[in-house]
Amino acid sequence: MYDKLFPPKKILLSNGKVVHKKRSRAPFITILVAIAIYLSAYYTEFSFYTIFTRIHNFFDIIIAMMPPDWGYINHLWKPLMDTIKMSLIGSLIGAVLVLPLAVLASVNIVPNKSTAAIFKVILSLIRTLPTLVTALIATFIFGLGPIAGSIAILIFTVGYVGKLLYEQIENAEMGSFEAMESIGMTRFQAFRYAIFPQVLPSYLSTSLFCFEGNVRYAAILGFVGAGGIGLLLNQDLGWRNYSGVGMTILALVVTVFIIEQISEYFRRKLI
Amino acid sequence: MINFTDVGKQYPNGTKALEDINLTIEQGEFVGIIGLSGAGKSTLLRCINRMHDITEGTLIVDDVDVAKLKGKQIRHFRRGIGMIFQSFNLVTRISVLNNVLVSFVPELSFWRKITGVYTKEQKVKALDALDKVGILDKAFVRVDQLSGGQQQRVALARTLAQNPDVILADEPIASLDPVTSRQVMDDFKRINRDMDISVLLNIHHVEVALEFADRIIGIRKGKIVFDGKSKDVNQDTLDEIYGGKVEEFGTDAEEESLHV
Repeated sequence: MYDKLFPPKKILLSNGKVVHKKRSRAPFITILVAIAIYLSAYYTEFSFYTIFTRIHNFFDIIIAMMPPDWGYINHLWKPLMDTIKMSLIGSLIGAVLVLPLAVLASVNIVPNKSTAAIFKVILSLIRTLPTLVTALIATFIFGLGPIAGSIAILIFTVGYVGKLLYEQIENAEMGSFEAMESIGMTRFQAFRYAIFPQVLPSYLSTSLFCFEGNVRYAAILGFVGAGGIGLLLNQDLGWRNYSGVGMTILALVVTVFIIEQISEYFRRKLI
Repeated sequence: MINFTDVGKQYPNGTKALEDINLTIEQGEFVGIIGLSGAGKSTLLRCINRMHDITEGTLIVDDVDVAKLKGKQIRHFRRGIGMIFQSFNLVTRISVLNNVLVSFVPELSFWRKITGVYTKEQKVKALDALDKVGILDKAFVRVDQLSGGQQQRVALARTLAQNPDVILADEPIASLDPVTSRQVMDDFKRINRDMDISVLLNIHHVEVALEFADRIIGIRKGKIVFDGKSKDVNQDTLDEIYGGKVEEFGTDAEEESLHV
C-alpha cells in the first residue's frame, strides 16, 4: 500500500541492472507519533503553563526538607528493616514458588500445549495486578503490617520472574534434553538435569534484579498500610514534617543504593 | 538382536519417513547407515529406542516389542540403549564427571534425583567410563573447556556408564575434523569389539563408513536400497543410494556432509 503511494526509488547500475530501494517509513511513523502525542496531551489536559507556574512548590518542599532531621534516624531503623525484610522474604519465597509454575508454562517441557498456555495466562494475570492493589487486598486478609507487604511482593515476584524464566526455559538448547530422554529420564527429570543447569545463572540473576526493584516497591507499600517505611512517609507528609521526610528519603536512597551495588556485584559474577 | 518386520513410519503431516523396512541386526554387529540427508537415517535410529513411534509393522529389540511399550516401560527400555549425537548434546556448564553421572539419574532415589547427589559407587563407575575413552584427566573440567573430539568422548562415556547392549550414533563425526573423527571412530570400534556392544551409526563420510563398519545399510527416500558387507559396496551401489549424485568415490559424499 505504502509502496504504491510512494513508488520505490530506482537505482541504475552501470551494467544496466535496476535495483529498487523501498521508501523509508520513518516520515509516516513520525507524523503518527506526533498526532498521538497531541491527542494524549489534549485529553489529559496536560499544560506546560501549569508546570511553569507551579513548579516552585516542588522546590519549596525540597528546601523544607533541608537540612534533614538527623536525629530522626532513630525512628527509622525499624520501619527501614521491615521494608528490607518484607522485600527479602517476599522475593525469596516468590522466586522459589515460581519455579514449578514457569516449568509448567514452558511448551518445550510440558507435552500438553494447552497446559502450558493455561499457566502462561495465570502468570500474565498475576502480572497485571498492580502491587499496590495486591497489598491493599492483602491487608484485608492478613491485617495491617509487613505480612501483607510480603505477600504483595511475593505475588509480584512470581509474575515477573515467572515470565522471564519460562522464556529462558523455552530458549534453552534442547539437545541435552533429548540426550537425557534417550537415557531413560522423564521430561521433568530431563528438565532438572539438562535445562535447569542452563537457566540457573540467569534465573538467579533475574531473581536478584527483582529483589532490587522490590526494595523500592516495599517502600511505598506502607501507603496502603502494608507496613514498612512507606507508613512513616505517609504520616510525615500528612503532618508536614518535611525535615523528617527528608531524612527518611535520604535513608531510603542510601539503603537502595547499597542493595543495588551488592546485587549488581553478584549478578556480574553470575554471567 | 534388533528385528524390523515391514516397518513403516508416517509423520502426522503425511510424509512417509520409512517404508517396508525389513532388517535383522545381530548382537555385536557394527553397522554403518548411509544415505542423503532427509532419507530417513535419523528416523530409523530413533525408532529403535522409541524416540520416534513406528506407524506400521513390528520392531523387536532384544525380545521386546518396542511399539507396545508404554510410559515407564519405554524409559526402562531406553536404559539398555545408548545414544550419541552429532552435536554431542552435553550440558556444557557443568563438569565432565557430572555429565557422565546423569546416566544414573533414573536409578536414584527421589531425594537424590532432586538434589543431584550421587553415590560414591556411581562416581567410581562414571570415572571408569571416562577412563575407557581415555579422558579421565578431564573429569573435573567444565565441558565448555573441551574440544569437539573430547566432548564426543564425554558423550561416549555417558553412554557407556549406562552399560548398554546397543549404541545408536546419529552422525557422530559430522562436526569433527578428520583426525578427531578417526579417533572417535576408533573408540567406537574398540567398544564394539571389546564389550560386544552393537553399534549402529548414521554417517555421511562413505569412506569412513566402509573402513570401520562391517555391514552397510543404504537408505534412499525411506527405503532400504542396499544391505550387505562393506566390502561388497561398489560405485553402482553408491549411485543407487545417493541417486547417481556420487561421481567420484567418496569425495562427493564428503561434500554432502557439509550441507548438513
